[in-house]
Amino acid sequence: MLKIEHATVIFNAKTVNEKVALKDFSCDISDGDFITVIGSNGAGKSTLMNAISGSLMLDEGKILLDGKDITRFKEHKRARFIGRLFQDPLKGTAPNMTIEENLGLAYSRGKKRTLNIGINKRDINLFREKLKALGLGLEDRMKTPVGLLSGGQRQALTLLMATFVTPKLLLLDEHTAALDPVTAKKVMEITDDIVKKDKITTLMITHNIDGALRYGNKTIVLSQGQKLMDIKGDERKDMTVEGLMKLYSKTASDSLSDKMIL
Amino acid sequence: MSTNSKKIISWIPRALVLAAALVLINTQLYQSQIIDTLEMGFVFSLLAMGIFISFRILDIPDLSVDGTFALGASVSALLTYNGHPVLAIFASLAAGALAGGVTGVLITKFKVQPILGGIITMTALLSINLLILGAPSRSLWKNNTIFTLMQSVLKDYTDIILSAAVMLLVFIIMFWFLKTQIGMSLRATGDNEFMVRASSINSDTMKIIGFMIANALVSLAGAMNAQITKTGDTNSGTGMLVVGLASIIIGEIFFSRHTIFSGLAAAVFGAVSYRFILAFAISLGIDTKFTKLLSAVIVVIAIALPVIKKSVSGGIKLLKERGE
Repeated sequence: MLKIEHATVIFNAKTVNEKVALKDFSCDISDGDFITVIGSNGAGKSTLMNAISGSLMLDEGKILLDGKDITRFKEHKRARFIGRLFQDPLKGTAPNMTIEENLGLAYSRGKKRTLNIGINKRDINLFREKLKALGLGLEDRMKTPVGLLSGGQRQALTLLMATFVTPKLLLLDEHTAALDPVTAKKVMEITDDIVKKDKITTLMITHNIDGALRYGNKTIVLSQGQKLMDIKGDERKDMTVEGLMKLYSKTASDSLSDKMIL
Repeated sequence: MSTNSKKIISWIPRALVLAAALVLINTQLYQSQIIDTLEMGFVFSLLAMGIFISFRILDIPDLSVDGTFALGASVSALLTYNGHPVLAIFASLAAGALAGGVTGVLITKFKVQPILGGIITMTALLSINLLILGAPSRSLWKNNTIFTLMQSVLKDYTDIILSAAVMLLVFIIMFWFLKTQIGMSLRATGDNEFMVRASSINSDTMKIIGFMIANALVSLAGAMNAQITKTGDTNSGTGMLVVGLASIIIGEIFFSRHTIFSGLAAAVFGAVSYRFILAFAISLGIDTKFTKLLSAVIVVIAIALPVIKKSVSGGIKLLKERGE
């Protein structure tokens, strides 16, 4: 489904501040996979997301989606088949536009935008139904500017928008990290529901190791821009948070000692 | 019920200002002056609606405006002089759109800073406008304009009916356009570019479209202004961005900018109000030299007021705390 081959991203190349954010990263994501990605700060998680969504271009390597080479596709072009949630709840919605207008924009994803009226009566009924399913009472506030909603409500709405037209791939970049624990849990539950219901192939970055094991069917551990571990199947089923932490700190310190020797 | 009464109370000071303005208009200005002021207000509301698109919808100050207003005036004057006043209006729309497109491409495709992009277009237009008109200004006293053409039908009220009609037409088209899929994408581009790109909208294209529409309207204002005043002037655009901004800001005292309708209404109402403020200033014997200074001051006050309010209330709070 999504194939990443030898992806490399270098910031500030050929300067003293050169940083290899992603180094020869390869992975193969199958249809219906729900992959969680963990790693410490600066491990390259967000770089990986940005490279897939197209807000960053690869310096080397290739990205193939359903066999099609999308390496040189611009962000808005990839967005036709890639849905995306940011960590910052403010990034996913237009604050001065109403809930229904935001949904209207999301509803026309991937289609050519025309001079037809943005939202018609039938759309509004559909929006109301979808909002009702979130269980946040947003269906009664469709004419409210999104800027007046709370972070959790905005993130849930963004999730709905990103999956309104079912994307081939859903990218979640720590999308619950900025929310309070109760709201984060609720948003995560909604996420899991939608992903399961529509069988969306998903890549989720998280700092929550417990969550990384509870959700999805595969876990990738990143360190210094490289894939450290790829945990799946029985190994993942038997894995505990402590076990993963131990493995993680062991490999992390290995790479650290390598660096010290060098 | 309580929110309604709150709304009514918040409108009282504004209603008082409006009433005072109406009294002033009736006592200080002659009827012909009032009609002239309204005409100019409607013409300049086209400018304000154009700047509303770039400044409020796209959230980018577009400095090409000073150049495109004069571009509209130049194109309109040239064609009117040669006997095509109606064609002049449409040609100026196209010319304005083209100039706006250039600014848009500079900003999006060549990554020129937004303000600089506008300045570049404006500067280039200084030469282009002279080239088009062939002279710094041209009088149209002997030529037919769209206003003189309609004189036989609309009689004495030609100027005001025609300018009001064009204003209304543009208002309705803009109101409809901003509700379409493309219009909504345009609004979202100014509101949150991340979200727009993530929704598979090309934000660069949207910005270029926005600049084209904004400058087409500004150019239209310049073209109408040239025909109604019967002079095409390549210097007529100087300071028009600030005049338009002042109009929008005045209008937003009475209309919120949060819906499309009230945003556009604010532009029109503000442009008309601005003309009345000028008319009063002139009737009081203030030199017309100072009108641009006045608009600059209005813009500064409007932008600085919230900051001043905040620091004053903060200072009072601090003093109270110290007193205790």
